[in-house]
Amino acid sequence: MKTKTSMAVWSLAALLGFVLLAGCGKKEEEQPAGAPTAAPAAAATPIDPATAASISGTVKLDGEAPKAAKIDMSQDPACKGTNTAENVVASGGHLANVFVYVKEGLGNRTFDVPKEPITLDQSGCKYHPHVMGVVANQTIKIVNSDPTTHNIHPTPKDNREWNESQPPQAAALEKTFAREEIMLPVKCNQHPWMRMFVNVTKSPFFAVTGADGKFEIKGLPPGDYTIAFVQEKLGEQDVKVTLAAKDSKTVDATFKP
Amino acid sequence: MPEKPIPENDPVVSKSLAPHYVISMVILMATFFWAMWDEDFGQRPWKAFQHEWKDRYSTFLKNARSQSGDAQKEVEASPDYQKLKQDYDSASQNAAPRIQELREKLRDLGARILAVQDGTNHFTDRRAYVTAATYAIETETSSSSKQRMQRNLEEYKAKPSTVEMPDGKLQTFKNFGELEEAYNELKNERTQFSAELGELIKPVNEKKELMDSYLTDHMVNLTPSQLTNLQNGVEVWTPKIRQINVNEHNADIVREDSSQIVDRCESCHMGIREPVKLTAAAMSLPGKKPDEYARAFTSHPEPDLLKIHDPDKFGCTPCHQGNGRATTSAEKAHGNYEHWLWPIFTPQNYEAGCQVCHSADMVVVTNDVGWVVSEGKDLFRQRGCVGCHRFEGYDKEPEDLLSVAQQIKQLDQEKKDNFKQAGDLMKQADKAESNEEANRLNDRAVALKVTNSKLDLRIVQLDRSTKSLLEDMKKVAPNLKDIRLKLNKNWIPVWLKKPSDFRATTKMPNFRLNDDQIKAISAFIWQSALKDSLPKHKPGNATHGKELFESRGCLACHSIGEGDQLQGGTFAANLSRVGEKANYDYLVRWVHNARERTRPYCPLEKKDIGPEDYKKKGLPYVFDLEHSRCPNDGHELQVQNMTVMPSLRLSPQDAEDVASYLITLKKQEPPSYADASFMDDPNLKDEGKKWVRHFGCAGCHEISGLEDEGRIGTELTIEGSKPIERLDFALFTEIAQRGGIEPITDPDDLVRLPEGPAKQPWYDQKGFFEHKLAEPNIWDKGKDKPETEKLRMPNLHLTKEQIRALTTFLLGSQENPLPPNYQYRPLDYRRDIQEGWWVVKKYNCMGCHQLIPGQKTSLMAMARYKDAQEQLPPKLLTEGARVDPEWLQRFLKNPSLSTTDTNRNGVRSYLQVRMPTFSFSENELGKLVRFFQALSRQPFPYIPEEVPVLTAKETEMARSLFSSTAAPCLKCHATGDPAHDRFATAPNFLQARGRLKPDWMERWMLDPQAIAPGTSMPSGLFKRDNGHWVFSGPTPASFQGYDKDHTKLLVDYILQLTPEEQRRVGAAMGRSSAASGSSSGAKSSGNGGRGAPE
Repeated sequence: MKTKTSMAVWSLAALLGFVLLAGCGKKEEEQPAGAPTAAPAAAATPIDPATAASISGTVKLDGEAPKAAKIDMSQDPACKGTNTAENVVASGGHLANVFVYVKEGLGNRTFDVPKEPITLDQSGCKYHPHVMGVVANQTIKIVNSDPTTHNIHPTPKDNREWNESQPPQAAALEKTFAREEIMLPVKCNQHPWMRMFVNVTKSPFFAVTGADGKFEIKGLPPGDYTIAFVQEKLGEQDVKVTLAAKDSKTVDATFKP
Repeated sequence: MPEKPIPENDPVVSKSLAPHYVISMVILMATFFWAMWDEDFGQRPWKAFQHEWKDRYSTFLKNARSQSGDAQKEVEASPDYQKLKQDYDSASQNAAPRIQELREKLRDLGARILAVQDGTNHFTDRRAYVTAATYAIETETSSSSKQRMQRNLEEYKAKPSTVEMPDGKLQTFKNFGELEEAYNELKNERTQFSAELGELIKPVNEKKELMDSYLTDHMVNLTPSQLTNLQNGVEVWTPKIRQINVNEHNADIVREDSSQIVDRCESCHMGIREPVKLTAAAMSLPGKKPDEYARAFTSHPEPDLLKIHDPDKFGCTPCHQGNGRATTSAEKAHGNYEHWLWPIFTPQNYEAGCQVCHSADMVVVTNDVGWVVSEGKDLFRQRGCVGCHRFEGYDKEPEDLLSVAQQIKQLDQEKKDNFKQAGDLMKQADKAESNEEANRLNDRAVALKVTNSKLDLRIVQLDRSTKSLLEDMKKVAPNLKDIRLKLNKNWIPVWLKKPSDFRATTKMPNFRLNDDQIKAISAFIWQSALKDSLPKHKPGNATHGKELFESRGCLACHSIGEGDQLQGGTFAANLSRVGEKANYDYLVRWVHNARERTRPYCPLEKKDIGPEDYKKKGLPYVFDLEHSRCPNDGHELQVQNMTVMPSLRLSPQDAEDVASYLITLKKQEPPSYADASFMDDPNLKDEGKKWVRHFGCAGCHEISGLEDEGRIGTELTIEGSKPIERLDFALFTEIAQRGGIEPITDPDDLVRLPEGPAKQPWYDQKGFFEHKLAEPNIWDKGKDKPETEKLRMPNLHLTKEQIRALTTFLLGSQENPLPPNYQYRPLDYRRDIQEGWWVVKKYNCMGCHQLIPGQKTSLMAMARYKDAQEQLPPKLLTEGARVDPEWLQRFLKNPSLSTTDTNRNGVRSYLQVRMPTFSFSENELGKLVRFFQALSRQPFPYIPEEVPVLTAKETEMARSLFSSTAAPCLKCHATGDPAHDRFATAPNFLQARGRLKPDWMERWMLDPQAIAPGTSMPSGLFKRDNGHWVFSGPTPASFQGYDKDHTKLLVDYILQLTPEEQRRVGAAMGRSSAASGSSSGAKSSGNGGRGAPE
């Protein structure tokens, strides 16, 4: 008798348990939906002008500057005037055409793309300027002031390559480069001596040394930076510098030929 | 029977079994629950996946929808979209009143038609009666009743009908004719209005379509409504098996493990085919790292591959392997358990799946750059694996030769039979009873004779292909018959000891030879080599030789320098120490023409034919591709060295210069090698031959007396299908199964293992191949074997990446599990592509030319070309569409395009780098030409279009474009004037006729960058104006009113250009040759058109 009852009890319990189990099995599906996390559109990180620091300096060439090679332009009679190779331009020990920029230290800061375009002129079958800095996506306006046709042919590593013809008096070409790239070569296939370099950076903190070897970069927020000096032929030099608020420091570099 | 007294301790009374029952009950119930649970979940882990999928995917979609909503708003706010919207709005507003009016009218008409048509005694009703009556009259046979019925019908037709029109008025039609007329009129009216409405709505709809397609085109992801649809789909999903049946209707599948492929992979991998991109990160729980669910739910990483291989047709396992039917656990489904023979390919070897069907494709996909399996294919061929291991499709010329011989035999027999039958027929004809019969028999005999002529010609063709095949047969390694002429004798034993010590990148593997073997082998090959002598050459100018070596393109295949200094291609030998081993006079001959043989070889007599054989027949000792018959038996000889190295058409002087440079490349002086005079010991020869045969040297080298040796290794065509039990892990079987201990101890070999030293169990095909390739004698370890029974496979000193590539290749080399109609065996243009790649890869065309966008050539990487891209060999991305195949064939045969002036490039005379003469056989020439045509999907044969003759005025106009300052064509294009051509970077226009296809020329002018990215030729010369291509620069007045494409005009002009015209135009462009002539001193002449300022 006793066993019978217990059996019944057990089976009842078991049934109940089963129902419960079955019931539970269905319930666990509902889960709160994960909160959507939309990435905010990149806006320029503000820089307080009151604390902005600056750096300036001179780039020197330690040693004899190589004599600038004369370029033979006879293949195109429209190319008039003198033309010399510009790969190392120095006078009195001052090195021109060195691209100076903040290589590291800006972290994840973002910057506005300058609205005004930068002009690249072709005149006397030469590029002006020979070395240029530009913020990524900033417009480069390319003008042909020569009475001959040029073609502009950048050969980038990390950007897209193109090659377009520009006859005399043609409308300016407007181009941009989207990705950072230092010393991106630009050439003209019709005048093989014509070469220049575009430097595309994320930040507007760059400069190109003038004939006196001098440069200045203004408006930097305080911080630890790596400043890179890049010369098309002589390579790159990095200098570390710490800027406090409103600092204005001198950073020089010397290249060996 | 008397009742027994109840015993005192009667177990029935005193013992209870309740506890037993209870325990059993508990166990039973527990088992029951367990069974229930197992049934629902334990055996169905995919259910958990599907629940998880539902949650995570719907969360993802919600998220994506809000983002996509923002994106849609953004697109809608763009001015372009706004303009389209305005267009649409104004169009629809303008059309709206009339549309409204028309709709109104149509509705009214509809009602009137209905009124006339429906109801008793109305049109439909009456027409039915008339039709039926007419039919009855037509089928009636008696003419009297016919007439009667006719009368009745007329009467019926004359009765009037009254119809209540929709406006409530009654209208009476006098008879059936009037009713019908009214009805038809109404219908016509309706058709007219409908058509007008359609016309009116069409432009509005078109504008709407433009607007909508702008939206979808500019949305990176799906639109919110598409996402909502997806989400609804997920929400109603109930867990169920998702299954693909491959070949449902045709179950005769080859693989023995299944009669049919059934893949249930998508029961867990739910996201594979979703139209949105799902990453593991996106499918993870918020703030958590991707777990197994997240990783399982990602989309297929290559949706483009799925487009070609629709999973509904192919399933998953034909590419990935694993057990597609299993659903009880991930391990089982992936086939990672001992009872499944072919586990899923690991991520490192994914591309093995391609090889299963595409073993015949040397290039698997059209954008094949950096594919692991393709590297495996290339390695298998280049490293000489084919020398020992047969693999279907590789090195198949000997097999083809056999089959051609067989075909010839067959055709000969057929010819004989035909001849005999024709004779019989003619005899019968002579005795025939009637002329008719005789003529019939004679006709049959004639037909057989014609057939025999065809067979004869076919045999001639086959003979020629025999010749082709003999030319196509190449060996991976050098001809050892020449070593007495070629090598520093004392260097040979040093080399054999360990080739990679002398040259780290050599193809020659290390055979682990002992000193006795080395002695014997070197003695045998030395003594069996040819003893002819070579013409002596004077020393050349090594400096000039270096310049030639670096500029002519040698480095597209060969490399130079070691370690970091290494530059050039990996296809052929590194020449850094060639001066230590090679003989100068031999090098000169080799550089001049590597195919030049010392003695021709007769495959029939099996001997090298010498001057004495020719003399016997009174023939001059001349053998080359034109003189390739054996003087003894007239059969085809092997007249070339079996190397792929082409001739660069250097002058004998230049060849001496290059050889003089090469001989200076050395680390130690040749005399410093230890004396090896034992190589002349005749007693060693037989022993040496034994070992040469044992190691299968003749698989890669041509060796006297061993020309017909077979391959010594296993065939590998379906090696990946071998069940694991048939791969012998020797003493390491258990270790491999258990894992944990790495049997390879040699540090050099250890770094070759793609996944590093074994940690997990590695008892599978992958583990076997990787270990075998890293240390080929690994399975001998711990075994006591005589020298002749040791594993023979040499160490190929491969890198990790190379072993990964070869393993991938081998894993995929399987019996194809798919039915034949699923396999890739094209017969159309794609077959030409397939065949062409074999030739392209065989001769390393891609060392110089880019054939696939993005593919890097060996030359591109060299500093020399960094600033002088225009000096690189042309890219061949659209070659078949560019050139006339007829021309291409001529060019490939002789790239100098001249029989006298061969030391030059035929087309791009301004390039330093030289297109060599490969002496392609007819067979390979045909394959290459067809390949390029097929690659560009061009019709073959090509029938050139007629070029219209330009009028004087058109010529004048075209000339003004041709010489315009805005498009100074002749500034860069060569003209043949040496002073000008120093600066040329493009071919002469005079070659265009007969070479270029006009359509291609036009496209080229429009956008050369889209045809050969990076070319010197600029884009933007023409612009689209009024539906025509017009010149971007200024045009003279004569162009006014000219409404054809300027590009076409220029193309026609160029195709008609004469040398005189070109000279005139060049002179008119004001280039003074004097000016350029005077400055020639300023530039080094070798620097030609590069002119980058230094």
